[in-house]
Amino acid sequence: MSSLSLPIETDRLVLRTFERSDIDDLCAYHMLPTMQRYVFSRTRDEAEVACALAIMRNHVSLQRPGDTLTLAMVRKGDKILIGHVSLNWSDATAGQGEVRFCINPSYSGQGFAKEALGALLDLAFDHFRIHRIFARCDGRSHHSIKLMQQMGMRLEAHYREHALFQGEWDEELHFAILDREWQRSAKVKELPLRHRVA
Amino acid sequence: MAFVLPQEPVLRLRQPLRKLLEGQENAMALYPTYPLHTERLTLRPFTRGDVDGVFAYRRLDEVARYLFDHPLSREECALAVQQRITQIGLAEVDDKIILAVELSETGALIGEVSLIWRSVEARQGEVGWIFDPGYQGKGFATEAANFMLDLAFGPGDMHRVSARCDVRNEASWRLMERLGMRREAHFREHAIFKSSWDEEYIYAILWQEWRRLRHPQEEIS
Repeated sequence: MSSLSLPIETDRLVLRTFERSDIDDLCAYHMLPTMQRYVFSRTRDEAEVACALAIMRNHVSLQRPGDTLTLAMVRKGDKILIGHVSLNWSDATAGQGEVRFCINPSYSGQGFAKEALGALLDLAFDHFRIHRIFARCDGRSHHSIKLMQQMGMRLEAHYREHALFQGEWDEELHFAILDREWQRSAKVKELPLRHRVA
Repeated sequence: MAFVLPQEPVLRLRQPLRKLLEGQENAMALYPTYPLHTERLTLRPFTRGDVDGVFAYRRLDEVARYLFDHPLSREECALAVQQRITQIGLAEVDDKIILAVELSETGALIGEVSLIWRSVEARQGEVGWIFDPGYQGKGFATEAANFMLDLAFGPGDMHRVSARCDVRNEASWRLMERLGMRREAHFREHAIFKSSWDEEYIYAILWQEWRRLRHPQEEIS
């Protein structure tokens, strides 16, 4: 496996690992009630966000199963951190990975999350050779549901009242996509000179 | 499916109300009084004498195909029976009740049913079964599994009970549908099972759905 080359550039975004100076931009969306509603870790004040940031700054590569790679979505031009995506290598034997994503609601609805998630799926399937990627979300999180459908992910599970989450019965959806189902981006990759014929 | 409801409460719930009042979690526990009877079947704890009866079906390829085990030897059956002898009550998370199912008429051992406590806080359970294929097609598995649902939702006070099987195990998921369970998940190639990609169904039923099946006339408030 060739080494991971970061940051990753998409049309409008740069995906890079987190830095200490990201705290303010991260606080701008991670503490919002709309965000807190669906996340596992509680980050209600700046100290808790700082803890989360410290953890995410260590998510720099996938070396062994259980590792996570978290990438900040930074808008080209104004360099504003607008969200993040992460890839967790959950199982090596069966080549399984999980993706998660968060976006600052001020920047949602413009396709940024889709752009970042697409790049992350490319990375997961092409670089890390993962066989199946899944993502989970709350049954009420309709933006997430729409995004995963746009990515071509299939609804694999719809659990009803299978657990308690934030004091309520949880409704959870699982979406998944296999490597052979993932449509690579139309972008033509330039072959290195030595691979060209004649 | 008709059920013989016991004349007197054969299911005794060792649930000290005092503990509940004291606000302790895990105050619930389920220790049914055995044997349990359905219309045609007797559900009872395993005993040492069941080794040959278990070996009769657990040695078969067709039984082992969709289980995590391979076909068992007689020694492995003895070990399995040994483990099951004490699996008769639920006191904490991941405890299992695994019961031998025998025909009340002849006393023949035809399989086993199980109930696992998956989550205490969220009151989740999981049911499972293994049956001797020689007794298929007579509704015995449905009868026994339905009884386990009654055990889970009645004295067990569970909120949701799930079951899982390989997608190719049609007999098993057909049974889940007969029990009134809904297909909640269809996982594809999410794991390796016996050296090939696994494809799995998860079915589940909620307390209110079970209640409506058993008491179709009643309105649930």
